[in-house]
Amino acid sequence: MPIDVTVVHKIASLARLKIEPKDEERYARELDAILGYVAQLQELDVTNIEPTSQVTEGAPPPLRTDEVCAFGEREEALGQAPDRDGDYFTVPQVV
Amino acid sequence: MSADGILASAEAIAADVASGKRSAVEVVTSFLAQADRTADTLRTYLHRMPEAALETAAAIDRRRAAKESLGPLAGVPIAIKDNICVRGVPTTCGSRILERYCPPYDAHVIERLRAADAVIVGKTNCDEFAMGSSTENSAYAVTRNPWDPERVPGGSSGGSAATVAACEAPLSLGSDTGGSVRQPAAFCGVYGLKPTYGAVSRYGLVAFASSLDQIGPFARTARDTALVQSAICGRDARDMTSRAEATPIDLNDLERPVAGLTIGVPRAILDEAGDALAPSIRAALTSAASAFERAGATLIDVALPHARYAIATYYLIAPAEASSNLARYDGVRYGVRRGDGDLRAMYEATRGAGFGREVTRRILLGTYALSAGYYDAFYLRAQKVRTLIRQDFLEALGRCDAILMPVTPTPAFPIGEKADDPLAMYLSDIFSIPASLAGVPGLSFPATFDATGLPIGLQLVGRPFDERTILRVARAYEREHDAASRVPPLAAAGGGAP
Repeated sequence: MPIDVTVVHKIASLARLKIEPKDEERYARELDAILGYVAQLQELDVTNIEPTSQVTEGAPPPLRTDEVCAFGEREEALGQAPDRDGDYFTVPQVV
Repeated sequence: MSADGILASAEAIAADVASGKRSAVEVVTSFLAQADRTADTLRTYLHRMPEAALETAAAIDRRRAAKESLGPLAGVPIAIKDNICVRGVPTTCGSRILERYCPPYDAHVIERLRAADAVIVGKTNCDEFAMGSSTENSAYAVTRNPWDPERVPGGSSGGSAATVAACEAPLSLGSDTGGSVRQPAAFCGVYGLKPTYGAVSRYGLVAFASSLDQIGPFARTARDTALVQSAICGRDARDMTSRAEATPIDLNDLERPVAGLTIGVPRAILDEAGDALAPSIRAALTSAASAFERAGATLIDVALPHARYAIATYYLIAPAEASSNLARYDGVRYGVRRGDGDLRAMYEATRGAGFGREVTRRILLGTYALSAGYYDAFYLRAQKVRTLIRQDFLEALGRCDAILMPVTPTPAFPIGEKADDPLAMYLSDIFSIPASLAGVPGLSFPATFDATGLPIGLQLVGRPFDERTILRVARAYEREHDAASRVPPLAAAGGGAP
């Protein structure tokens, strides 16, 4: 399916991205070219091939013990927020 | 400090500082002076830290005076790619969305470098969120190649490669997801190592594509590359994927000859590349292969039949993971917030204004590839092809100790040449992406120069957790050729040339 402005509009909305209408055409063209290129994967037979989601050598990675580790720099972390109220991050009203 | 102070290796600097022959303050001062001359022209840094660097250096000198033992990188300046967190120092990832972000913690690699007594001198420019092959996608500046300022330094770790090439720092760190350490290393004539997936903890590295991201060093000698890798590698409980199998490299191993080693060359890939592979790079590869053969290595032909599908595979997997990782930039906990109105409008305005074109393109691509109805055809299929690519490498590396191949199809290209053609930019990653997908280590080493004076790098790909062998092979080449000892005219202009 070719990528058109409607598709770009839909995926931008899914990704919570505001795209200027004047740019939608260009993104559609670029994505269409890229997806046209990646379509070559369809020519391979991948029957019975396991997907690789993570490259792991040897034994599976050990799990960390489930312990609470306090992060000491609370103020430094909160101080990064564009807007806060005491120890809370503030956002536009949702209800 | 002598005129050639900034040309000294990290190893020699650390030895001098430890023995008291040179003070750390003296060393740092001379590199800061070099950066004062060239960094503004080259736009290598997004944030320089001269005061902090001199303070660290003075503390190292005081500890030496008190007869305390010093770490293996004592007094050695190192530059850090701007997607690696340094506590209290701006870390923007080259993005507007993190314009005001100062992380409240150090990345694992920064803790390790501090423990080794290295001196952090600044944060280097990069493509936004490490997405790009030219550093033109930085929201702040276009870094220039020290060998030809009209050309790109490569990317995404372009600032880290250029700052080492220009002798502004003897060492730097970058990150490599599909070639972002190796490609700029090749374009700038320095060493660049992408370690095995799992060799270095990514705690504190801003995530791009988590099944591919690795942190790796840049340096001007093979031994210095090993020195940094030894300092940063190994298990860290804060990154589940980091492995204890990654152990420090004994520098003596690097001096062992290559006689008895088997080096594989993927002839079919080179043939298939045809005219897309520059004759200068093809010639450099042939010449390096002969040099290894003369030194007693056995050359064999290896097949990597699925490598031709690597770019298509990568440009589904990496954007898919990126679209998920970058969901965290929502204008709530850090960074910049835009827009008024409801929460959704705030998210959309913040992300729309904060991300540049390439990042937006990849989020769109990844969101599409993961969306209902397309997941099996795109993302899952790409993961299966990834298995085939990895099998090719493991099979080939079962028959040889290292694979010799190009890093890039051409030397550094002019600024602007590929900026408006994303697919053309992606295709330039054809030789670096396969090792990333396979999770095996890849080293870009400076091999020679083309007729116009641009550096040519070549790549050695090794077995998992066998960085020492590819560094050993590169070291053997370096003993005979030492292409990294040449300094760009721009960097040598004010003195400091041998």
